Amino acid sequence: MNPEDVRSEPKLVFKTASLNPNSKTIVKKRAWKSLKQIISTEKALPWPDNVVHYSSINAPPSFKPAEKFSDLSGLPAPYTDPQTRLRFANKEEYATLIALPMDITAGYLALRGASSIVG
Amino acid sequence: MEILEFKDLKCIPDIVHSYTPALRNNSVPIVIDNGSYQCRAGWATSPEPLLLFKNLIAKPRKERSKKDTVEAIQTPQLQVGNDIVNIEAVRFQLKTQFDRDVVTHFEAQEHLFDYTFSHLGIDTDNSIPHPIVLTEALLNPNSSRQLMSELLFECYSVPGISYGIDCLFSYHFNEVKPQKNALIVNVSYHTCHVVPILEGKIVFENARRLNTGGFHVISFLHRILQLKYPAHATSITLSRAEELLHGICEVALDYREELARWTDPGYYEEHIKKIQLPYSVSLASSALTLEQQKERKRELARRLIEINARKREERLVEDEEKLNQLLYIQEMVEADVDKDEIEKACAEYQIKHLQDLQKQINTLNAKIEKTKQKILASNNSEEVEEPPNKQPKHNKIVFESEKAMHIFLQNAKKMRQEILSKKMTRKQRKQDMAKRRTAAGQERMRIISQLARKEKGNDDFGLRDEDWDIYKAISKDGGDSDSEAENEKLLELDEIIRTHEPSDLDETTNPGETHQLHVGIERYRAPELLFKPYMLGSAEAGLSEVIGYVFSLFNTEDQLKLAENVVVMGGLANLPGLQQRLLSDLISIRPFQSVVNVRIVSNPSLGGWFGAKKWARSSELKENLLTREMYDECGPEYFKIHVASNPFYPTPKGQEIDIDVS
Repeated sequence: MNPEDVRSEPKLVFKTASLNPNSKTIVKKRAWKSLKQIISTEKALPWPDNVVHYSSINAPPSFKPAEKFSDLSGLPAPYTDPQTRLRFANKEEYATLIALPMDITAGYLALRGASSIVG
Repeated sequence: MEILEFKDLKCIPDIVHSYTPALRNNSVPIVIDNGSYQCRAGWATSPEPLLLFKNLIAKPRKERSKKDTVEAIQTPQLQVGNDIVNIEAVRFQLKTQFDRDVVTHFEAQEHLFDYTFSHLGIDTDNSIPHPIVLTEALLNPNSSRQLMSELLFECYSVPGISYGIDCLFSYHFNEVKPQKNALIVNVSYHTCHVVPILEGKIVFENARRLNTGGFHVISFLHRILQLKYPAHATSITLSRAEELLHGICEVALDYREELARWTDPGYYEEHIKKIQLPYSVSLASSALTLEQQKERKRELARRLIEINARKREERLVEDEEKLNQLLYIQEMVEADVDKDEIEKACAEYQIKHLQDLQKQINTLNAKIEKTKQKILASNNSEEVEEPPNKQPKHNKIVFESEKAMHIFLQNAKKMRQEILSKKMTRKQRKQDMAKRRTAAGQERMRIISQLARKEKGNDDFGLRDEDWDIYKAISKDGGDSDSEAENEKLLELDEIIRTHEPSDLDETTNPGETHQLHVGIERYRAPELLFKPYMLGSAEAGLSEVIGYVFSLFNTEDQLKLAENVVVMGGLANLPGLQQRLLSDLISIRPFQSVVNVRIVSNPSLGGWFGAKKWARSSELKENLLTREMYDECGPEYFKIHVASNPFYPTPKGQEIDIDVS
């Protein structure tokens, strides 16, 4: 006997029979709203003033200037390579940095969220 | 230095727990702490959660090729929770019902409930005759809760549900003596919450959620290690990053100071963690075949020599025969034999005059002599040749002092490095040229399009010699390729360095060494993300700053009350150093000499479940249960509020949230 059958059999019992997914009548695919969609629908409604929402307790943006750390080592980085836009802490790091292939430099930038041209 | 290894713990499939009559007949509540990282489920009577599994399902895609065949109709096997033995194998098929800390994907949630209930052993027909105590996110949107109620009431026919917030359950019911005022800091998988409680009541409007959590720390660690070791990118998996986070990561008390310490090589050596990646020893390929290759080469050379020798001997015999005949003709000439016959013989050897004959005899003699010498030479050399072959080309140069040699070597190394880096940049340029979206590639396209543009009348291209250089610039090699001379020079330098410093170029002393991850600053760098979300490009304030911000929303008196009792919980609260760090950060933002207390709850990860369990066992549950009747009566979004629950704000009428988007 297939072990799968053993496992799935008790499943059939406790669920409401008509909603059992194994009955092939309901195969309608449903698109679930993402959290973003849920929040935006929620925001659009005319809530009373005192209501606190999921979206209203977001952390505030940082008021402190972001410190600059080397992308490679994580050390405080006073320098930025103008070519790759990567930050580095000392000349040894720069030596490794210029030898890095493009996908790695792009990966570092993307990780820091600095890959967009605008930002 | 001890070298750590990955344990790569596999999930153990859960057993189906027995559904005892005591459970069956008393409608014992089921307690489910439904977290975005893990689901913990168990009976209100069980001493600890019976089921602990990651809230994940792996749904294999249907194979395209089998789409038309009959077998394809049967649904592919679905793996749920701890059935997923090797998470990395199905990483791309994983699905969770969570979007951040809110349940949004209820099809997945249904599978996970199936898993939970079946593994609790429930086998009653068409219903789950047990009330459910379920945790949800702080300020869970109504639509999410509505769908959850719908699922539980309609699909599982549960008699009642009680919703609560995990950190509040943990605080109110898992603490020995919960104080009236507290600032709960819940550091969990997708989010961190800072929740102020005054006089036993949660102040929702001043609570804050930081959308950075363990998940982000793990992916950050995963990525920085992958980028640090691109060669091992595939063997650095998310589960391994998670293992590292749980195993060796720490929160720095003062991040800047910690970084400064790591710049000292001695400290680095002492505190670096080396982690061995699994690797297969392939010494057979390097050491043995090198020997074999040499052997094969020698064999080939020997055969070549033999062939040559045979050829020489054959030629010798041939030549000697010819010589004999020529000599015979000469004899005939000398003996004044019949002229006709001599001419006949001469014609046979294409000899026109007698002088020619003499000349040929001479050359043949010389040739034979030469061949004989060669044979002799080759016979001799065969015995002696092998040993001197091995001697290195470059004999050791003798230096008058250690220093001179050192300088010489440094120079050689520098030259070697220069050539290497030149080669490297060339390769890089070539790569960039090949890609479309690089600066180099675009510059190349620009030049090409400019060349192709026809300008009538004033096309003077090619008048100057420099014009032609442009083709060098746009060729894929970038003008100059690795020159032969450079390669030779490189080989020579390698040879020199090897003769004088044998160990320098021959690495591979321990093949496992190249498969080691050195995790140093990263141990502190990854958890630091909680305090510096901008390291991952988020604009949000860090944890300490958010706490400070929440303080600022209260008057001074309440601030004091909150600061006196900062309670930290959630999975990441297990990180060593977190308590000290929060304390030091808070002291720095609180007024001078004001009281600040930070403590971590006794069981940060499971506190929510234990709290919810206590709640489920209390008499309060009965009064605060959302029953099926209420659900039918008050609408799907209604629920009962209690001390550990979210507030209930009915969705404004007339504009029902459209939850069905199909």
